[in-house]
Amino acid sequence: MTINSENAFNKTKIGLFSPRSLKIIREQTALILLIFLIFVGSQVSDVFLTGQNLLNIIWAVSVLGIVSLGQCILIIACRFDMSVAYSLGLCGIVMVVFQNLGIPWTISVLIGICTGFFIGAINGIICVKTGANPFLVTLGTGTLIYAASLTITKSKTVYTPFEAFTEIGRGKLFGVVHYSVAIFILLAIVLEIMLRFTKFGRSLYVIGLNEKVGKLSGFSVNKIIFAAFLICGFTASIASLIVTSRNGSTVANVGLGLEFESIIAVVLGGTSLFGGSGGALRTVVGVLVLGVLNNLLILMNVQTEVQQIVKGSIFLLIVWLDTSLRSKS
Amino acid sequence: MNSILLLTRLFLKKTPLFLFFLTITFFTLMLGSSFFNLLTLTNISRQISIDTPIVIGQAIVLISGGIDISVGSVMAMSAAIVIGTQSLGIFLSIFLALAFGVFIGCINGLLVTKGKIVPFIATLGTMSVVRGLVLVYTDQKAIMGVLPSFEIIGGGTIGFIPIPFLIALIILMIFHGLLTKMKIGRNFFAVGGDLDNAFLAGVPIFRSRFLPYVISSTLASISGILLASRLNSANPQIGLDTALASIAAAIIGGASLLGGRGSIFGAFLGVATLGILSTGMNLLGITTYLQIGIKSLVFISVVIIDAVIVKRARSAIKKE
Repeated sequence: MTINSENAFNKTKIGLFSPRSLKIIREQTALILLIFLIFVGSQVSDVFLTGQNLLNIIWAVSVLGIVSLGQCILIIACRFDMSVAYSLGLCGIVMVVFQNLGIPWTISVLIGICTGFFIGAINGIICVKTGANPFLVTLGTGTLIYAASLTITKSKTVYTPFEAFTEIGRGKLFGVVHYSVAIFILLAIVLEIMLRFTKFGRSLYVIGLNEKVGKLSGFSVNKIIFAAFLICGFTASIASLIVTSRNGSTVANVGLGLEFESIIAVVLGGTSLFGGSGGALRTVVGVLVLGVLNNLLILMNVQTEVQQIVKGSIFLLIVWLDTSLRSKS
Repeated sequence: MNSILLLTRLFLKKTPLFLFFLTITFFTLMLGSSFFNLLTLTNISRQISIDTPIVIGQAIVLISGGIDISVGSVMAMSAAIVIGTQSLGIFLSIFLALAFGVFIGCINGLLVTKGKIVPFIATLGTMSVVRGLVLVYTDQKAIMGVLPSFEIIGGGTIGFIPIPFLIALIILMIFHGLLTKMKIGRNFFAVGGDLDNAFLAGVPIFRSRFLPYVISSTLASISGILLASRLNSANPQIGLDTALASIAAAIIGGASLLGGRGSIFGAFLGVATLGILSTGMNLLGITTYLQIGIKSLVFISVVIIDAVIVKRARSAIKKE
């Protein structure tokens, strides 16, 4: 008892590092960083804190954000999807190819989204049925998808014939917010509600923490993991829809590097790589940190090459901070 | 039951060898003497010798329970350094490139051991930083070498054996010896298999988890130097898919993402199998796109077979 109170006394002595504030800092590293970055932005540049610029930031990261949301669902369940980058290519290519065959763009979009579900289903089935490592399986299916995209397009850029189709990526809801931003935010809210309040969502955390416990609690682990892969495939196809319609064209490697970037965004947001923690809104914060950082570096006229070094270093710093704060508790 | 267990264990141990001979036999049967001749084999050996060091490094990191995503960037940067500093003399430029590899390896190792960051994330971070360095250093353009004599390392031959292949073989022998005969190498398996038990058994944890990253990064720089020397140029696009390709080769060679498993010869057979596969497919006239597809199919099947066998072996052990 005396030792405990002494400990507590020692910890409360330093205000910033009292257990309680430490806990808040630990849990909301990304949010604190985001606020800090926005503060820095407002000091560095006059245009930073304008509504238009802030909307532009979200617009720029909305594709990455949507992919990260799906990735986040899988990482909570302690899985990865390394094929998202190439699904992004294939879904868009399928849409555009079908459009060029004379099929209305609305139906082609549906087919594209089905492709996303299909990729998710294949990843899910292989992982669930064989118990193989998801990281490796999706690495393999990713290159397989890439090969399929290359074969379909002969590694050329394919263009959409429909002007209306490009409206999804370029148009604005009520003339203010881009559709892609609206979809991103809507998806984040829906997934957050699903993760917090549905049995499926809660079971993802249990499985992520300890698969055996999940099994013993009566969850059909296989079905849940399969569904998580489906969701990831779905979000990749939505991201693909946005990127394809925004560009009005697509190539096989349109999503190059997105598999790593989405994991970076999810981890930055505070979702543990070991599963069992995190959430959709946290991922949104992680994505926004990347977006704001990008915007700041551009506003500060930093060379594009140097930007990558800065981003990588900040990523390492945050992860290191996060890990050391976690181990202190 | 016992015989099945024995068979699965044998298969588990010898999958890489089996795959290697399968691909050689397949292409020999399909192509006959146009595949199985000295010229083709020399070409294959030259091609795989550049990837061999990097895959051996990746295998060692995987054995110790880690993963190194940054190898591709380190390879690119070393290639850029060795070309960019050629005016200082060949030996100094090679030394600088190797020093860079050791340096990044130390950083990776420290981030993982002292910083306690998950290997995947730590090396992902260094990958992005080093790639940035590459872009800054090369100014996003290919850079050309000025000393023609530098090409000997990657392009020369002794008799009919390419020099890079000899270098790869020497590296293979050294690290095979290190991992099978020396205590420090055995410790890599120990920390990769079970960290807690390794600690209780008195294995020096820090050293055994730190060194694999240094080895891997240094070998990645050797690969970079070999590649740069073969082309006598370096471009910022080098090694973009190397991380994934090297993991694939190491896994085909019997390493596991869970750590504690794998061998140097296996890793070499993994690289060789993939090298033979791509040369054979080129000779068969298969398009590049299809080649990527076939390679990934091979990779997926190895992963699945591995997973299924491990599962069956485990349940068999349980039944006993």
